[in-house]
Amino acid sequence: MKKRFEKIAEYVRQHVKADDYTLSIHAGDSHETRFAQNAITQHIAGQSMQVELSVAWGNKTGRCSINQTDDAALTALITQAEDMAKLNQPDPEYVESAAYAELPVVDNAAPATLSLQPEEMVEIIKQSIANATGQDATVSGMTEKHHPHFYAATKNGFAGYKEYTSFGHSMTLKKGHVETKVSFESKDFGKLNLAAQLDQLNSQLGALNEPQNFDPCRIPVILRPFAAWELLMFLGWMMNRRQADEGMTAFTDQLGKQFLGEKFSMLSTLKNPDIISDPYGRDMIVSRETPWVRDGLLENMPCPRYWAKMKGLTPMSMFNLYIPGGDASEQEMMNQVPRGLIINRLWYIRPVDMKAGELTGMTRDGVLYFEDGKVKHAVNNLRFNEIPHAATRRILALGKSELVDSGVMLPTMLIDDFNFVDKTTF
Amino acid sequence: MKYLDIAMNTANALGADYADIRIQKTTDQTIYLHNLSLKNTSMDTIHGYGIRVFKDGAWGFAHSHVFTDDAVAATVKRALEIALLSARAKKGAGLVLAPERSYIATYKTPVKSDPFQLSLKEKVDLMLETNRMMMNYDGIKQAIFYLVMQKDEKLFASTLGTRLDITTQFINPVVTATAVMAGDSQSRTFDDGGRAVGWEWMEEIDFTAKAKQLAEEALIKVKADTLTEEKRRSLILDPGHLGLTMHESVGHPTELDRVLGWEADYAGISFATPEKLGNYKYGSDIVNFVGDNTLAEGLATAGFDDDGVPGQKWHIIKDGILNEYGNTRDTAPQLGLNHSRGCNRATYYFNTPINRIPNLYLLPGKEELTPAQLIADTEDGVYIDGRGSFSIDQHRVNFQFGGDFFWEIKNGKLIRPLKKVLYKSCNPEFWNSCDAICDQRFWRPFGVVNCGKGQPSQTGRMTHGSAPARFRNIRVGGSQ
Repeated sequence: MKKRFEKIAEYVRQHVKADDYTLSIHAGDSHETRFAQNAITQHIAGQSMQVELSVAWGNKTGRCSINQTDDAALTALITQAEDMAKLNQPDPEYVESAAYAELPVVDNAAPATLSLQPEEMVEIIKQSIANATGQDATVSGMTEKHHPHFYAATKNGFAGYKEYTSFGHSMTLKKGHVETKVSFESKDFGKLNLAAQLDQLNSQLGALNEPQNFDPCRIPVILRPFAAWELLMFLGWMMNRRQADEGMTAFTDQLGKQFLGEKFSMLSTLKNPDIISDPYGRDMIVSRETPWVRDGLLENMPCPRYWAKMKGLTPMSMFNLYIPGGDASEQEMMNQVPRGLIINRLWYIRPVDMKAGELTGMTRDGVLYFEDGKVKHAVNNLRFNEIPHAATRRILALGKSELVDSGVMLPTMLIDDFNFVDKTTF
Repeated sequence: MKYLDIAMNTANALGADYADIRIQKTTDQTIYLHNLSLKNTSMDTIHGYGIRVFKDGAWGFAHSHVFTDDAVAATVKRALEIALLSARAKKGAGLVLAPERSYIATYKTPVKSDPFQLSLKEKVDLMLETNRMMMNYDGIKQAIFYLVMQKDEKLFASTLGTRLDITTQFINPVVTATAVMAGDSQSRTFDDGGRAVGWEWMEEIDFTAKAKQLAEEALIKVKADTLTEEKRRSLILDPGHLGLTMHESVGHPTELDRVLGWEADYAGISFATPEKLGNYKYGSDIVNFVGDNTLAEGLATAGFDDDGVPGQKWHIIKDGILNEYGNTRDTAPQLGLNHSRGCNRATYYFNTPINRIPNLYLLPGKEELTPAQLIADTEDGVYIDGRGSFSIDQHRVNFQFGGDFFWEIKNGKLIRPLKKVLYKSCNPEFWNSCDAICDQRFWRPFGVVNCGKGQPSQTGRMTHGSAPARFRNIRVGGSQ
């Protein structure tokens, strides 16, 4: 694939007349099998291709993309992008394309994922369905395999290639009025332990018998890793250097300060072999070991190349996310507070107040009430209005970090005084 | 086109029970202007074909961007192989498709002025001027003009003998002014969503007046008061706000695939289960929701859906009672229905079609009623315009919405602007609390162009609409 990309890049290099250009190519092979109510309902396979060219005449820019790669299509792409830039108005924030850079060497393609066949994926689904039917329940989910390749080249000498694999298998098990979910996401299919996943799923479902009414209040929560990720992904999104500098977010004037909780650290890393680590991120920013938060101290924020140039900063990209954990088990967390809730997943999280960093959302797929170190019963789902950076200041304990996405690893978190404001009927 | 014939002939020769091919070219032009900087001026073309094969009660879908005779035939073969694999994990005899006849038809979105034929300069000049006007206000730190124009050209053929040639397009302008002042940051946005029209809509909008309004209202909003306590109040919701509320609390719960549990692992299921059809009091007597994929300028109006089923108009909620779902050829028979309402749509060629919300709107009130009269008749409430924060549970029961601009109503008058207002409600409380809807003179469409659903995720589009409406006794308060 890399040679095919290089051939396209060479054609573009020879034919672009504009002052500057950035070429990005993406191709991929995917197989996605969706199942619901104990049967496959959707089954997709195919290859994708996208060639994107950004050009500039002075500071007048244009960007076009196509998914055909013959010479005629590439010529048309170049002409269209160049014409668009010529006709455009100048961009006062234009920044020249990325220059040559040494990229870190990474290995994100797992042989077990590459060799996985569709028949094996269907077999995994059949075993998942058998597990559900065996207990008079229904299972719905998605089994997917992806193998994307990326290439980038610029007039100023940047050239980069990356590929990765990913495999996912999710299962939502429903029996009567209760439902719960587990997911496996990794670049390496070989790390799937389906039996363990099914055991976890069955155990979670078993704990949800006879949910009882629970009214919203402030209460300690144990956020399991997927729930913690669903909340904290917004933290990464709001942590934008330019928006902070312009006074639009809660991160304004907080750089270098103890803005988050002292038990909380967050970094992008090239050193963890379980997490996909891109050699370059958005804006062709070269990936490097980057601590964003260290023991609550806000050390860095993602910064695009334009803003970095304006302010004399180093461009930075959040190319993956690792939140170091601790060694507390769920039981030890339950022992640490008089009562609380165990949250499996969060859902439909949206900003309520961008300046404050406040979010709203719902719990999903199982909420358990515990007291005196023991799970008492399941409860109804609840709505929260909460501020993620403020919530990190209330972290009481961390579990072991786990993979929740091919590029994200974080731990179970015990957070005090989580703010629930409403409840639903189930 | 020969590829349609190659695909259908190959599918028939391989013994498909049903097959279709959708050759689709999607062209997007996006212009994103941020503080007078053209952050994105782009034209993206995505061209390829998706082939569905139905065999032994199961689906297979394969896609490709390679246009050769061999590639098309190979893609059909792959779709069939996948269908056979799917059939290894089916329930009983598998899925059934609702009967449908064949059609040979053409549909084209009516546009007076095709934005793809206009010069880039004309578009950018308009946007720059709007942006500049907003930036001229002291306190406005961010001015954004985001413009998307999209055209979809589809050729569709099925083994039923259907041949369709469909071109749809839409345009979606979004303008935002953000004020930063006194330790707060607040935005005001013009966003009526997308419309299936041409540049003529842009010419109808007075962007000079919009720029002034947005900048001034952002500055009012950043200095506005907040509600200090949550209590039950009346709400008067503008069509630019209510569109999203109905999308989340009526549109998604009445998609039949969700009702059947096909979205259980991701988008969720629905409280509006089949035994409620014909008897469930979803809303008050004046609440009538219509699914209408024939709506002029509607984003889901395309002549036919991606099952090859023609656009239709039907009551989803009639006089407050849950009446019917939006469905597809493979979901309708699950309820014993023998006809699809034509709601199966895919986003790009590489997406398989899924059960989508149709154009769905609230019928206006039958009695003459203006927004001014509605406000004058309200003692204690809040008027909300525009989209804000929105969140709903995965069964579509409990929800919390914000908005873009708020006025407190006391004794029939708008007394002060507010910010950070939230309301909390649930189904069926919310729609049953609707006690007044303005008349048809005040009905306005609201287009959604980015409805996320499905695995892999797709962004669908559809048009909603309403006149301003009042809801009594809703919990209204502020954020933290």
